[in-house]
Parts: sequence; C-alpha cells; structure tokens
Amino acid sequence: MEENINQDLQKELRREAIKRNWQLFKQSKLGMIGLYIVIFFLFLALLQPFLFITGIWNKGVYDPVVGYEPIKDTLLVVECPKEYPTEKYESYSDCPAKGEVNIKKLYMAPGVEVGDMYETFIQPAPPSRRHLLGTDSLGRDIFSQIMEGSQVAFILGLLSATLGVGISTILGTIAAFFGGRIDAYLMRQSDLILMLPSLPLLFIISAFAELKVWHLAVVLGVLGGLGGSVITIKSQALQVKVKPFVDSARITGGSNMKILFSHVLPNVAPLALLFMVFSVTGAIASESVLSFLGLLNIDMSWGIMIYLSQTDGFIFSGMRYWWLILPAGLAVTFLAGGFYLVGRGLDDVFNPRLRKR
Amino acid sequence: MSKDVLVVKDLNMHYETLSGDVSAVKNVSFTVKEGESFGLVGESGCGKTSVAMSLLQLQADNAKISSGSIKLDGIEMVGMSESELRKVRWDGISIVFQGAMNAWNPVVKVGEQIREAIREHYPNNTKIQNTEKIESLFKMVGLDSTIMDRFPHELSGGMKQRAVIALALSCDPKVVIADEPTTALDVVIQDQILKEIKKVQELLGLSLIYISHDIAVIAEMTDKMAVMYAGSIVEKGPTSEIFANPQHSYTKSLLASTPSVVGDKVKLNSLEGEPPSLIDQIEGCSFAPRCPNRNTTCHPELDMELVEVGPDHFVDICSASRN
Amino acid sequence: MAEYIIRRTFQMTIVFFLFLVFSYLLFNAIPGNAFSSLLLNPNLPPDAYQRVLEIYGLDKPLLERTQMYIVNFFKGDFGYSYKYFPKTPIELIAERLPRTLMLFSIVNIVAFYTGFFIGKVLAWRRGSKAETWITVTSVFSYTVFYPWFALMMLWVFGYKLGWLPIGKFLYPEKWYDAPFDSDVVFTSMIKFTVVVSLIQFAAYLASRGIESLSLRRNIRFVSLIAIFIGSYFYWNNGEALLQKPYASDIAYHMILPVMVVTVVAFAGTALLTRTTMMEVLKEDYILTARAKGISQKRIRDRHAARTALLPVVTSFIFTIVTIIDGSVLTEQIFSWPGMGQLLLQSVLEEDIPVAMATFSFVGVFALIAHLLADVSYSYLDPRIRIKSQG
Repeated sequence: MEENINQDLQKELRREAIKRNWQLFKQSKLGMIGLYIVIFFLFLALLQPFLFITGIWNKGVYDPVVGYEPIKDTLLVVECPKEYPTEKYESYSDCPAKGEVNIKKLYMAPGVEVGDMYETFIQPAPPSRRHLLGTDSLGRDIFSQIMEGSQVAFILGLLSATLGVGISTILGTIAAFFGGRIDAYLMRQSDLILMLPSLPLLFIISAFAELKVWHLAVVLGVLGGLGGSVITIKSQALQVKVKPFVDSARITGGSNMKILFSHVLPNVAPLALLFMVFSVTGAIASESVLSFLGLLNIDMSWGIMIYLSQTDGFIFSGMRYWWLILPAGLAVTFLAGGFYLVGRGLDDVFNPRLRKR
Repeated sequence: MSKDVLVVKDLNMHYETLSGDVSAVKNVSFTVKEGESFGLVGESGCGKTSVAMSLLQLQADNAKISSGSIKLDGIEMVGMSESELRKVRWDGISIVFQGAMNAWNPVVKVGEQIREAIREHYPNNTKIQNTEKIESLFKMVGLDSTIMDRFPHELSGGMKQRAVIALALSCDPKVVIADEPTTALDVVIQDQILKEIKKVQELLGLSLIYISHDIAVIAEMTDKMAVMYAGSIVEKGPTSEIFANPQHSYTKSLLASTPSVVGDKVKLNSLEGEPPSLIDQIEGCSFAPRCPNRNTTCHPELDMELVEVGPDHFVDICSASRN
Repeated sequence: MAEYIIRRTFQMTIVFFLFLVFSYLLFNAIPGNAFSSLLLNPNLPPDAYQRVLEIYGLDKPLLERTQMYIVNFFKGDFGYSYKYFPKTPIELIAERLPRTLMLFSIVNIVAFYTGFFIGKVLAWRRGSKAETWITVTSVFSYTVFYPWFALMMLWVFGYKLGWLPIGKFLYPEKWYDAPFDSDVVFTSMIKFTVVVSLIQFAAYLASRGIESLSLRRNIRFVSLIAIFIGSYFYWNNGEALLQKPYASDIAYHMILPVMVVTVVAFAGTALLTRTTMMEVLKEDYILTARAKGISQKRIRDRHAARTALLPVVTSFIFTIVTIIDGSVLTEQIFSWPGMGQLLLQSVLEEDIPVAMATFSFVGVFALIAHLLADVSYSYLDPRIRIKSQG
C-alpha cells in the first residue's frame, strides 16, 4: 500500500519535472525552431508511406528508386554559334536557352533542321505540379526521394545515437564508479578508438561488408559509443559520485549496483540525452558523406542524391538544375541543424548556469 | 565638522522578474560623512546588498534604479554613463564583496588582479610604483608581499579576504563598502578581519559602509547605523543611541535576538514569521504582521515615513513608540 | 607531473602496440590483396602472381607476417610501398605531409581565432538581434553538409566567377621548367610561416611586462608592421625571390580550400566558446572586475575569455587530432595531394605498408595530442594539478 503511494508520488514528481523542463525548453527560441525542423522532417518521412498506401501516389510513378514518368516537351531546334557574344546569346552557357535544343545534340534524330519543333522527354524535369521538386536524370521524383532520405536519416541517426550513447553512458559510469584498472582499461580503449582515422576505417569496413543502413547505424553507434564520449560521461559521473546523496545512499546500505543505477545513472542521464541529440547530427552527416563517396549499399538517401548529381555533372551546371542540387544538400544541413538546435535548447534546460535568470 | 562624502536620497530600485516587479530598495536615504563608518543591518533579503550594488550601479541587468539620487562628493551618480561610472568605481567607491573565495579570478595571479585595478585608474604609473603600492597595501592588511605571485586557490580563506581588502584600498577610494566581509570565515579569522578593517579605516580616515546581518558586529564597527526591513530603512541614527534607546519594534527584536557575552543569562527572543514578499505593494507598516507588540504602541495604518525622535535619530513613524 | 607523463607514455605504448596489431589484421581482412588485379591479366603466366606474392612475403601465414611486421616496425623498418615500389612509406609521408600541414594549420589557426572571437561576442551580446543571427549562421555552417558546401563553393568561385582555381595545389604548366621541386617551395613556405609566428609570439611575450596598456598595444601593432616589412624584404631578396612566383602559385591554390574549411570549422569553436563564456560570466569575479572599473572589453577578453578558454583549447587539440582524418574528404574534393589522399589511396589499393605507416602516424599524432591536452589543461588552469594516476 505504502509502496503504491510512494510510486504514485514519484510518478507525480516526474511528471512535474517534465512539465517544468518543457516550460524551460519553450523559452529557448532556437531550440523550438530546431524542434519544428525535426518535426517537419519526421512528417515528411511518415508522409511517403501514407501517400503510397492511400494510393494518392502511384508507386510506378513516385517510387524514389524505380519510379519513372516520361515528361514530354517540345523544343525549338537551334544551332549554337561558334563565337560569343552574339545578339541572342551572351556567352557559351546561354545556348541553348530555355525551350531550345542544340541541333548538334540531335545527331541521333535524322531529318531535323534548325527552326523545327522537336518533341522530347525531358530528364531531369523541372518542378511542376505533378512533381513538386522535379525529377532527376532517370525521371524519378525528387520530392519522394527527399522523403525516403529523411526516413533513412531518422532510422540511422536515432538508432546509432541511442546505441552509442547507451554504450558510452554505461561504460563511462562504470569507469567513474569503479575506477582503478577498469577505468584505465576503458580510457585506453577509447584512446585506441580515437586513434583510428574514422573515414578510412569506414572505408575498410565497407570493403569487406556490404553496408546497409542498419549495419552502418551499428558501426557508427559502436565507434561513437566507445570513443570520446566515454571520457566526457566519465567526468560527469565523477562529479556525481562525490555528491552527498551518493554517500548517504552508501551509508544506508545501498549495494554498489543499486547506487549505480538509482543514483548515479539518473544524474548522468541529462548529459547523455544531450550527447544523443548531438550525435544524431554526426550520424546524419557521416551517412551522407559515405553515400556521397558511393560506399553505401543503400538505394536512396540524401547523400546518394548529391552523389548522383555530382557524378552526372549537374553540380557544375550551377543553378540551372537547382532541384537536383539544393533540396538534398539543404535537407542534410537542416535536419542536422535542427537536431543541433534541439540539443542546445536542452543544454539550456539541463545546465542552470546557462539560464538567463 | 567633517563634510558629507556620500549622500543618498530617496533611492528606489526594483528588479523586473517574470512574476512581476520586485521593489528591493524603497525610499532609502542616508548620509555618510568623511572618516565615518556607517552600518546597514537587516535580515537576509532585506535589500542591504541591493543598496550596495546601486551605489556602484552594478546591479543585475534586470534591476532598475527608478528614482532617487546618489551624490558622491556632490557629484550625481544616478544617470551617469558607463564610462563615467567606470572612473568612479574603485576610485570613488570600492567594495569588499561577501564571499572572498569567488571574488578572485582563479586563473590570474592575485598581484596581477590588484595591479589591474590600479593600472585602470592611474594609467601613468610605472611598474615599480605599482609593485610598491601593492606591497604597502599588503603590509597594511598584514600580508606577506610574496602573495602577489600566488594564485587565489593557493591562499587560505582569511588570506584571500585580507587580499580583498587590499584590493579595495588599492585606488585610494573615498568610500569603501564592506558587504558582509566576514561570512564564510571562521570566528577567529572573522575577528581578525574586523580588527583589520577597523584599523585600516581609522588609519586612512576612510568612509566605510559596513553591511551585515549581525547587529553585534555593527555595534563594534560603526559610528552610525541604519536598520533595514523589507527594502526600507525603519530606523537610523548614531549607533550608541540606537543601542541604548531602540525605538522601532524591529530594532528591538533584533537586539533581543542577539546574545550578550557579559551580563546575566537571558532567554533570547526570536521573531516569528518571514519578511514580506517584495513583489506585493505593501500598504502601511511592513513589519506589522510580525510585530510582537502591535496594537499596543504603533500606528500600522500610516504609510512609512521617518520622523526624528532624538538628536539625529530617526524612526519609522508607524512603529515609533507613542511617547 | 613527470611521473604522470612517464606513466601515460607507458600506457600509450601498450595502446599503440594494440593499435598496430589491430590495424594490421584489419587491412589483411579486406578481401583480395594489392596484387589481385594481376590475376585478371590473361597475358601473365599463372605462376607470376604467386612469385610476386613470394617477393613481397604475402604468401606467409597471417600471424607470422603480423609478428614480422610489428618486430620490424619497432626496429624502424616500415617496408616498401607495394604501389610505388622503390619508395618507402616514410618517403611518401615526407612528401605529402608538408602539403597537408601547411593547408590545415592555417585553417585551424584562422578558424580558432575567428571562432573564439565570435563566440566571445555572442556571449557578451546575449539576447541581442545580432546574437540570434550570428548563432543561426554558425549553426548553419556547423551542420552544413560539408562536401556539398565545398562543391557549391568550388562552383561559385572556381567556375562561375572564375576567381580561384578548381582543385589541385599548383598549375602544372607553370611548374614545367621550374628550377625547384614543389616540395622545396613548400618547405620554405612552412619555414617562413613558422618563423613569422614565432617572432609575433615573442613580441607578444616581451610586451606583456609593459605596464601601460596603450603602450603595450602600440608596441604589438608596431611589431606587426615590422613583420610585414620584414616579410616583404624576405620575399624580394636572394633565393626567396626566385621561389616567389611559385610560392604565390601555391598560395593562390590554397585560398579556396582554406576559406571553405574555415567556414565549416570556425563554428564549432564559436558555439563552444559562447557556452563556456556564458557560464563564466555568471561568476562573482566578473562582478569584482566590473566594480574595479575595468572596461567591458578588457573584462571580456581578460577575465571571462581567459577562463572560458580551457574547454575550448581542449576541444581545439582534439580537432588537431582529426586534421589528417578530416583532410581525407577535403583533399578528395579539392584534389589536394596530401596525407589524406595518401591514406585513402593506400587503403583502397591495399598498399599495406603505406597504409600502416600512415595509420600509425595518425595514431601517434593523436596520442601525443591527447597527452598535450591534459598537460596544457594544468598550465591554463592553475587549480588543476595533475594527480599521478591514470
């Protein structure tokens, strides 16, 4: 009976604490902006399956990997001059202009002459009502790819961050709590992990194992969890360890394990949560870099979108094909930034020394 | 007759907080003469430190001086620009903060921190002049000159506090504010520090504002005193006069709650209740709810105003004894 | 202190040993080897492949090879590169390292100072409009997808505006009949930079003792001008004059990578400085300093920033650790032939001796930097005295 009351009280207290922290978090303007960004991308990630299931989007057209829709357009056939500037074109890059095609490109279509109208499929197609962000060079819908990419980013980011922070919190607390040899061993272990250059290491791993999203999440999580964050969590746990309430728990006869789990861990948790949010940022960036270098065996992600636009040479075509270049790069930047801002908002909550008043 | 160094008149200061304005200082007026030591006594949170901060205009960003005047040597300080204030700080008024432990920057040597203050106000001094100055200051407060090259964490609490006093004297200020300089020190050191301050004050002829919650210390240290309650001065006058003939009920309570080493054993009286919240506007006597002898001698309905009851002895009208 | 360093060094040696074994096994775990491609060549006799393996000792069992490699490593013999045969890994590193160091030390120094300065201002101007905007910009450049951003910058400055070269660290046609090797020029550029920074640092130290603040500032300013005049004379006389066009070619190629990496790198320092500064500004001694009548700028720089520097320096040292690691991507994008590319190539081509040498170089670099971080902490914060325990 009494236990029940106690538990209820604890629950009540916890609810109160969450409410208070939420009030504090709400005061941080940038933190809220970050939260909105994250929610926006989460919405995108969930919207795509919804659109497919309800049949609003046809899988054959909108699938991010195999979807295809031919978009026809009629172009005016012109011949680009040899020297610039001319009356019509100022420089080399102005010809052919919008709605025009250079006759030299039509050597496969005999009988076409300058001044004709030529009907063709346009890929990549610019944004239209059917394809909000246009299509890529294979005729696939960019908006759908962005949605798929945000699914990948969320799965990977959250999974690897949870795993990494879980490992480092447990190891860091153990290192701080037991000290001595265990501590020395764990610290040197993180030294060892920190010594390995991360990108080449991931190269090697991708060489003998085809990396899928899950694998990459585990690898990133374990590497992150064993590395530098153990040291930070340990120093925080050391500060908690010498607090009076730990001593009083010990005097009242709490076992080591009980003290560790009911006193030290809860006090390290805010920092761990903070770390987690920040490491989501890192994981998203890592995935994009690896995809960008063509090392991941996954179908679609923001990194792959940029990789494709680079290998197809669109990145140096400037803003003419902006829908191939901007959305994916901005998506990576914004989601990573959103998580970072949320982390900063949480920092304001958990670190009273940063508060304004 | 020595002249008035610091004249504070009708000073009002409030903090703007999320839950409303908090009036921390209400219509505070007092005068400090040259070479005189003035005591400010009251419970924690009664606005003593806020008065000290307003004098230097170092109040927190959310604190505003809404009205009143602070005149140092006849020069008005309220409304001064930041750069003008910088010249007055330490040169005109310096302060010994409560808790010397945190007054020192932990990563800068003690001597360097004093030197910095001198350099700011006497930019033309040479290095040797400044060193000599610091050495003489250290000597005055009973410290070894080698302490100059030490880091704050290498000094004991008492040494740090002495060094803080040396720091406060470094630019020959006209007024020194001592804001509970002996809290966080053990009793023996407290006594030494008090003697040190007294000695230095008499030696240099300083005007001293001594802030404390301990009325016994005030008795020992000051010539004149004021008692603060809930942001206002409720009684002020010569220290000996107030001790001999306290008028305000609060002063009486304060005196009654302090043990005396000499004389018979008496039961100490403690005050019930807590000071009022400063957020609410207080009508009439702010002390009335806690007053042990209300309904008998005072007029709690009157607004606060000081009336003269003896030579240079003022007391809040609503709590003044009816005689 | 000495005991602590000795202890750490001992532990570091063990860690390093494990690191070597681990990396060697890892490289060998990659399917195939550096010479697998020979098997695909139909014109080669079948036993040729076997003979090549024998020559390089790759036919021996893995454990024996590991043992041999480790023993030879501690004897100072790193073997020969498989791909650039007569060259040793050390020669390759010696050629590539200056290029990476030159680029990234400039980046890091510039990024550190801008980051620290911006962070200071952010903390000081808390709550202002400017703070919000600078913070948003910093967060953007902190989280921007780096390869994408770099490519965009390449497109803008290298292609669209055409102000700066697209990749590479020199114009090969300009160096066709150059009397110097590019490495010679590189080395003299590095020497010049080091000497200049040492002189500036010495001037800073010497002027610290001056009591008058304005005089101190003037002397530092004069020394800066003197350095400019001095470097002008240096580059217009003697051998340096001959090297000048080539050095300027390299410097020209460095602008874009330095700019791009700095934009990405400064933000981390700025945001960290802001946080630590804000914590420090709540301390009582900041109030003391204000009461002393010290100018806002000086309180900010001298009292708040000095204490806030601690965690920033630590994180900065950890950034230095990742210089070579981080250079992989940058050098790939800007085709800058430095350590990062060597590291990546050797891993991809399974050139094990070179990969091992570069890996252990990075490892030693990291270990020393970690030790340095701990030691510098005790210098910057007199409260911390390193206890003699691990």
